[in-house]
Amino acid sequence: MQVKEEVVKVPLSVDERWDLIEKISKQTVEFGARKHTLKDAIAELTVKPLTGIPVAIAVIYGFWAFFCEFAGTLFTDGFMVRLFDEHWLPWLQSVFPGKETWLYFIFVGDPAADNCFEAFGMLTSGLFVIFGVVLWAVLAFYLIFAILEDVGYLPRLAVLVDTVLHKIGLHGYAIVPTFLSLGCNVPGVTATRPLETRKQRFMMMTLLAIFVPCGAQIGIMQDLVPEMMGWIFLTLAIGYLGFGFVLNKIVPGKSPEIIMDVPPYQMPTLKNIMSKLWIRTSGFLLVAVPFVLLGCLIVGLMYLTGAMDWLAAVFGPLLTVWFGVPSETVAPLIAGFLRKDLAVGMLGGLMEQGIMTTFQVFTSVILLCIYFPCLATFALMIKEENWKEILGSLASLVAMVFVYGGLIHLVGIMLGVA
Amino acid sequence: MKILLMGHPNVGKSVFFNRLTGAKVMESNYPGTTVDFTKGWMRLEGEDVELIDVPGAFSLEPKDRAEEVAVKMLEENRDSVVVCVLDASKVERGLYLALEIIERGYPVVVALNMWDVAEDKNIKIEVEKLERILGVPVVPTTAISGEGFKELVSKIKEAAPVKIEKIIESASGVRVATSAGEGGGGESAAVSG
Repeated sequence: MQVKEEVVKVPLSVDERWDLIEKISKQTVEFGARKHTLKDAIAELTVKPLTGIPVAIAVIYGFWAFFCEFAGTLFTDGFMVRLFDEHWLPWLQSVFPGKETWLYFIFVGDPAADNCFEAFGMLTSGLFVIFGVVLWAVLAFYLIFAILEDVGYLPRLAVLVDTVLHKIGLHGYAIVPTFLSLGCNVPGVTATRPLETRKQRFMMMTLLAIFVPCGAQIGIMQDLVPEMMGWIFLTLAIGYLGFGFVLNKIVPGKSPEIIMDVPPYQMPTLKNIMSKLWIRTSGFLLVAVPFVLLGCLIVGLMYLTGAMDWLAAVFGPLLTVWFGVPSETVAPLIAGFLRKDLAVGMLGGLMEQGIMTTFQVFTSVILLCIYFPCLATFALMIKEENWKEILGSLASLVAMVFVYGGLIHLVGIMLGVA
Repeated sequence: MKILLMGHPNVGKSVFFNRLTGAKVMESNYPGTTVDFTKGWMRLEGEDVELIDVPGAFSLEPKDRAEEVAVKMLEENRDSVVVCVLDASKVERGLYLALEIIERGYPVVVALNMWDVAEDKNIKIEVEKLERILGVPVVPTTAISGEGFKELVSKIKEAAPVKIEKIIESASGVRVATSAGEGGGGESAAVSG
């Protein structure tokens, strides 16, 4: 018997380590013949473009249909609008003392309002936005998210869209942060961490912050302007891809290929779905309730002190001339710094007053999406990016709002609808 | 003593964490769900031990933010036992990280997770032999259904640091000396016996 003696340096080199692994696995691992299972068959169907694209469209359509039916039709229109507009609002208007006082204005809002969008008070519009509309939207969203996540569909979707995203210097993996951002931009931004270079992370965060509306925002948009949703998503998608293309050209740095594991499909467990639904929904309420109420309070105070009228007068010309929206939209734009859902809800109030054309509503909704990430997202970006990148993101944002917002106005003028 | 849960992205570390601590961290079926560490407490033979869910890493040479966090956690917790979670259907890849951690002198327990997936793929692993070669406890687990957890927990106390030379020796049937050298250590001198 021969025994060799070798010298080993610790730590091993990469090659030495792989050598050792080969020796170990040869003795311990045996690969049997692979059976082609049903799981494999499904896996292939969802990844090969010919079948995968129709499957993706079906999945997204199913997602959307469920979302609209469950959140919009069943809960919001079916129960909540009735509860809030026919019972809560009239009751509050009748029992809250002092119709002319500022307290009434802050808490209940407009005494003549006959629906919660129009009232603008903390206890009327504020609570209605959260519990009447957005809560059901995020619940529906998170439920489907959790299922798609646990089944293992996301990495497959990433493989499918990889080619398209390559054209803008991103990779299929970008679908994960984007998808999460559709629920809430905050976990979307943290999900950029597995991206390898600062350039990729910067691009991804900036695109998310500008072009990806969150579930709360989508929920309230769907309630307010359901007939426009297609156009809204199309406009945002064009912006995302177009601006991504430009960013990729001007941001220095590299975008190396990301290799992503495609995990096996799994049967989701009810326990995990429920647990995720709970974590995310309670997280949503914890942030949304104080911020929406605070937003209502600030906007209410600004109206009372005349600050809002002053801002409307100052920014009015810019808003009307450049973007083609009425100066009253300054109030939702202020609220949007805190919460996008509240901002869109306030837009609803302006719509009820009948001071906006359809196209102006469309432009305002897009502006609310792209002009600033909500406070929670922005705070996280400050944590994740260095100051140069923050300035870069802000600069991109400002440039984007003016260019894209102006462009939408221009298209409106040319089509004769603005 | 602390316990670190380490392994590649999407091998089930968070499922381990939730099972062992009764906590609720996000579990999903795609790589990169956990991008920051989470701490929790588990009972180990009557005492409370801190368990840390570390973001997935392919190796200890970090390539992204999540991996940076992983390496930092390992370096900051020198007194930990590392439960290295491997995808049993991709043992080789996982062993790379496990060996790196062993080389750094940490006591390791290897969990061969996704054992059900490996069985589906008709991959057979000789657990006892692997355990003998590595010199560390190796436990097959299926985290989603909870199989193997009792055994895993009972093996944590057995974990002890292993010298990589020992592993090379038992893997190749060759006696190995370190460069620091017990026994002279010539350049691969053949000795008959």
